Amino acid sequence: MQTALLVGLILAVLWFIEKMLGTPMVIRPIVVSTIIGAALGDLQTGILVGASLELIFMGFIQVGGAVPPDVLVGAGLGTAFAIMSGSGTEVALALALPIALLAQSLKVIVFIVRSWFMNFAMRLAGSANIKGLVTLNMAGLILQCAMYFVVGFVAILFGSTAVEGFVNNIPESIMSGLEVAGGLLPAVGFALLLLPMMKKTNILYFLLGFALFAYMNLPILGITLFGVVLAFIIVYEMKNKEVEVAGNNGTNKPTDEEDLFDV
Amino acid sequence: MSEKKKMSKDEKKLMREIFWSSFMLEASYNYERQQALGFSIGMWPAIKRYYKNKKDQADALERHMNIFNTTPHVVTTITGVATALEKEASKNPSFDKNIINNVKVGLMGPFAGIGDSLFWGTLRIIAVGIGLSLAQQGSILGPIIFLLLFNIPHMLIRYYGGVLGYKFGTQIMDRANNSGIMQKISKGATIVGLMVIGAMTASMVKLESSLVFSVGEEKIPMQDYLDQIFPLLLPLLYTIFMYYLLKKGMKPTTILLVTIAIGIGGSLLGII
Repeated sequence: MQTALLVGLILAVLWFIEKMLGTPMVIRPIVVSTIIGAALGDLQTGILVGASLELIFMGFIQVGGAVPPDVLVGAGLGTAFAIMSGSGTEVALALALPIALLAQSLKVIVFIVRSWFMNFAMRLAGSANIKGLVTLNMAGLILQCAMYFVVGFVAILFGSTAVEGFVNNIPESIMSGLEVAGGLLPAVGFALLLLPMMKKTNILYFLLGFALFAYMNLPILGITLFGVVLAFIIVYEMKNKEVEVAGNNGTNKPTDEEDLFDV
Repeated sequence: MSEKKKMSKDEKKLMREIFWSSFMLEASYNYERQQALGFSIGMWPAIKRYYKNKKDQADALERHMNIFNTTPHVVTTITGVATALEKEASKNPSFDKNIINNVKVGLMGPFAGIGDSLFWGTLRIIAVGIGLSLAQQGSILGPIIFLLLFNIPHMLIRYYGGVLGYKFGTQIMDRANNSGIMQKISKGATIVGLMVIGAMTASMVKLESSLVFSVGEEKIPMQDYLDQIFPLLLPLLYTIFMYYLLKKGMKPTTILLVTIAIGIGGSLLGII
């Protein structure tokens, strides 16, 4: 019971620190496992398990909207089970990934719940209620911390067999449905963003950016560079020509404009 | 050109406030608006400085509640640029406030690209590499060195990025006023912004059909056909559908619920 509380608390606090300090990487296995090890009285195993798990989870990072397997839960519980069962690194490795995958879908639910928060956030913004916004932001964070606490607590309390059983017992259809919904939801955000920007005359730029990714799989940075060049040609080069053709009013206009890009 | 203005005491204070309020960017990360709430809060030091009445503050906060997503470690640079734009907007009543959002959107993609490769891809890997070699020997120095190697550059870039963004933004504004180039910037930013949104839509919205047709012996997955017509056609159509619903006046929450229902329903029916 005590161990379960301790592990749950560590997971929750680590997530809190991670998101309060602007992603300082305290939820990486190399850190998580060490702390769990120290808390459970076997610092040495903690550090060693952390090193192995870090290697495995090196690629699981959250970039953009994708939700990767949850390394915090995977590393934290994997290490705890390894130390508690006294069987070291192998058990940690075997358990870490399925646990991480389970936690991943819980995270999806948290992200969906917090999408609902945004409605409320808009109302607070509309009345310039900054205290409310900060509180709401904190509430969103605490919600996820609570999720981590519960996951850690329940998992340790009921042991590894229960964890595996649970993972296998969630209806597949619900899990995959939520996953599909998770993939679709960014569309709502982007549509909201397009609302003030897109007009009939410039819809093609949106399609161009889309097509560059869809057909060529160019990285976003590359597409942005193309966008900048295209914008430069359309806005600057072509307009400049017009000025030249239109005659020479405006004495030193072009030099002025060149300066702009000379920052 | 090089009017390298020293920052005033008040501006330096503002930079520190932006630095400190930037940390909670991802506290309420969500699907609908991603980091928007955190970004909005991060703009507050600027908003409360430049706008004195409640209505203007509310407008500014709402403006920054648009979907936002970038690498958290480099967000202050964008906050800095947006701060300079807000400063201009507060002084100049003819300033087109849409520009602020367009510039933000134009920046978040490239900054995510640079930030992800710099922080996740490069700095983290270097720090892990050095920390791991110590941790594998069981040394507590492993995780400690890892955190230090990552976070010292992180904090420096977080602070000075804000300063840089603010200076850059101010400079653009100074020039823009003189040469009447605002419209061009706006148009340019819209072009880049739309292209980036297009690209991000393609990379982040996930929808595939799992329908399979049987023609005689052969099984032909629907998705293959769709890919031949236009890869990622379904995410594109879905996003445009959402845009259409919004344009028709449907509430974001409603289409959010519709989306979840479509996700689970479509998955149960086995069509997506």
